[in-house]
Amino acid sequence: MTGEAQFDPDGPAITATDVTKKFTLKGSGDGVLALQELSLAVATGEFVALLGPSGCGKSTLLRLMASLDRPTTGNVTVCGEPPDAIAARHAFGVAFQDHALLPWLTVYENIALPFKLAGRTPDDVAIREMIVLVGLDEFVSARPRQLSGGMRQRVSIARALILDPEVLLLDEPFGALDAVTRRQMNIELQRIWLRDQITTVLVTHSVDEAIFLADRVLVLSGRPGRIILEAIVPFDRPRDRSVMRSEEFHSLADELSLALEPSED
Amino acid sequence: MRTGRRLIQDYWGILLILVAWQAWVIVNQFNPIVMPTPISVFDALITDPVLFLENTGITFAVALVGMTGGMIIGTSLAVATWLSPLLSGLVSPLAVLFSSVPVVALIPIIARLLGYNVSTEIAIVVIITFFPSFVFASSGLRALPPGSDDLFRVLGASRRATLFRLALPAAMPNLAIALRLAAAHAILAAMIAEFLMGTSGLGYLFAKTNDEFQTEQAFGTSIVATAISVAAFLLASFVERRVRSHFS
Amino acid sequence: MATDTTWVGRTLLGAVGLVIFFGLWQLIGHYKLAGLSWPPLTSVIDMLTDASRRPLFGRAVSATLSSTGMGYLSGACLGLVLAWSTHLLPPMRRGGDRLAAVLNSVPSIALGPIFLLLLSRDAAPAAVASVHVFFIVYVSVTSGLASASTAHQDLFSVFGAGRFARFRRLEMPSALPALASGLRLSWPAALIGAIIGEWFGAPRGLGILIINAMQNFQIVLLWCAVFLAVIASLTFYGLLTGLERGIYGRFR
Ligand SMILES: Nc1ncnc2c1ncn2[C@@H]1O[C@H](COP(=O)(O)OP(=O)(O)OP(=O)(O)O)[C@@H](O)[C@H]1O
Ligand SMILES: [Mg+2]
Repeated sequence: MTGEAQFDPDGPAITATDVTKKFTLKGSGDGVLALQELSLAVATGEFVALLGPSGCGKSTLLRLMASLDRPTTGNVTVCGEPPDAIAARHAFGVAFQDHALLPWLTVYENIALPFKLAGRTPDDVAIREMIVLVGLDEFVSARPRQLSGGMRQRVSIARALILDPEVLLLDEPFGALDAVTRRQMNIELQRIWLRDQITTVLVTHSVDEAIFLADRVLVLSGRPGRIILEAIVPFDRPRDRSVMRSEEFHSLADELSLALEPSED
Repeated sequence: MRTGRRLIQDYWGILLILVAWQAWVIVNQFNPIVMPTPISVFDALITDPVLFLENTGITFAVALVGMTGGMIIGTSLAVATWLSPLLSGLVSPLAVLFSSVPVVALIPIIARLLGYNVSTEIAIVVIITFFPSFVFASSGLRALPPGSDDLFRVLGASRRATLFRLALPAAMPNLAIALRLAAAHAILAAMIAEFLMGTSGLGYLFAKTNDEFQTEQAFGTSIVATAISVAAFLLASFVERRVRSHFS
Repeated sequence: MATDTTWVGRTLLGAVGLVIFFGLWQLIGHYKLAGLSWPPLTSVIDMLTDASRRPLFGRAVSATLSSTGMGYLSGACLGLVLAWSTHLLPPMRRGGDRLAAVLNSVPSIALGPIFLLLLSRDAAPAAVASVHVFFIVYVSVTSGLASASTAHQDLFSVFGAGRFARFRRLEMPSALPALASGLRLSWPAALIGAIIGEWFGAPRGLGILIINAMQNFQIVLLWCAVFLAVIASLTFYGLLTGLERGIYGRFR
């Protein structure tokens, strides 16, 4: 089970073609060039991780895919359609760094929210199953402020997955966590992901996390972001901690870290 | 002993005023028509409680009805400006203008326009409580939890769902602040309206007893009015704390 | 560029809003849609600019402004001093807060007669204004003093700064922005206090003009007096907003 072979040959789920994104800032004349002529394709059912130095445009790229922003030039499609159409179909699942849980809703209600926004009646069985899956069954009626940081991130992941989305977009979903919790969350995310193998783009700062979770890792250059390295991850799933101790893992991590380094000065 | 110290710590200011008042009247040997002592005022309150209760009820009802109306209209207009950027652009300078207008000065105009009766008093309270509701609701509808507006867009939420599931709940803490401010304003505005138009209620009772040199009753009226505004304020603060802890 | 155009757009839209407002006022007055008590804008402006009325308006505005100003200053000083004292003497804090809250709940119309007795006819408007200002300034300064960050507090303790040095060099400056907001919000409140205070026998002022015009059906005069009160409020409110911006820029 390695490499591209397993993916749908019918064409990519996400494409970006020659995407440039320029932000105009108040006061400064030129503005900021966040992305330049970037192209990529994500196959259906593929898990892609994006690595890159801070400020290189990773979140910008994800926002373009999520229909939250438009490229200055170039084109982004999701499932062959403009991203807006996917949002209108309620077919995205997202989890961002600030978990964006609604403080006035319980854990259960927060996870049920995507159903309500899609105009569907919440599927009680599916929600309870999902809550068990993320290990929060004792906190069904707790409010976000009664949860720890890691528990909030889990709620946010559960909310992203509850509608069986066609595309999952994750922007540093574990950014706020300590190393140990983060590793646990990685293992949990893989377990949940293996259930449906949804097309996923994950933005992260952690090389280990990228390799552990992804089928393919892309490294972006410093601003303006372009893809400078692409690495296929050769490990079978489900992966466990022992993978991280393997020789292959270390050499891949070294290669990726090296690609990240020059732009860090 | 303990409770005595507690009492002084918490209420020294108010006790000081009461004692100074009593002493000042005794030292100056004022005629009670000019300036009654606190004790004789409490006497007056106890001798005719029905009079005070009746008028308190009227003022309270006017304030409550007016405040409810003002808050509903203020919130509705804020929602309308949330839905329509055009409307928001049109009214925002007017809102800034009116929020710094001394609204009490408008009461005589409203009284002339609508006539001297209870519905005018209610209208005055509506107008005076409208402004804080509108201002606080408008900013509350835009004070969303971080990232939640992006989330709603990616999940394809309709405008309506965004309003009812995100913006309005997010505005609740601000609406609670508006409620606290409006509660304080409402009773005072009702009293001023009653005072100027001489219809009924505590404001009227105050005007009448003051004109007829029933100074003890006039002071009694003020104390009752102060007590109900303190009570309204405390109640509204309690509601505010509850709402705040539920919605944030 | 995009932000420039939206700024221009917003300003234009706001101007259109104001034009619609004044246009409606004129129309309603002109066609007597709201009865005889709603004069057209033009007759209000005519009376305001009428030279023979100028002394009347001038006397009223200056009387009200001077009582508002006096009340404003004395109320602000009282509020500031009480807030500072209760801050330096923590056991007094709760009592101070309660006193301020109760004073704020005394209906303004009840304050008029009391000050008439305590002071004089001329001083009552300023005194009522000062009570209004006192409350707002006290509340904003106490919350401002409490807002000095704990990190800074720790820094000052490490330097061995005494209670008073800490107050002067840390807490007083951190409370300045809150004080500035309080001072801005106090102005309309002071004006309201002065107008109400004038109802209890002051010889002249906008409040007297308003109440007399109301009782004698001098409708245009009533609107003129209210218009002047609004102008008096807005002018100083604008100035104080400028002051507040300056202080925020310096101390935040
Ligand atoms: N809305 C915006 N307006 C102006 N500039 C923006 C905006 N969003 C992003 N930028 C700029 O674009 C660049 C890329 O930002 P982006 O958030 O995509 O970086 P990132 O790779 O996600 O960084 P990090 O790893 O720190 O999250 C930055 O220089 C940022 O200043
Ligand atoms: Mg980012």
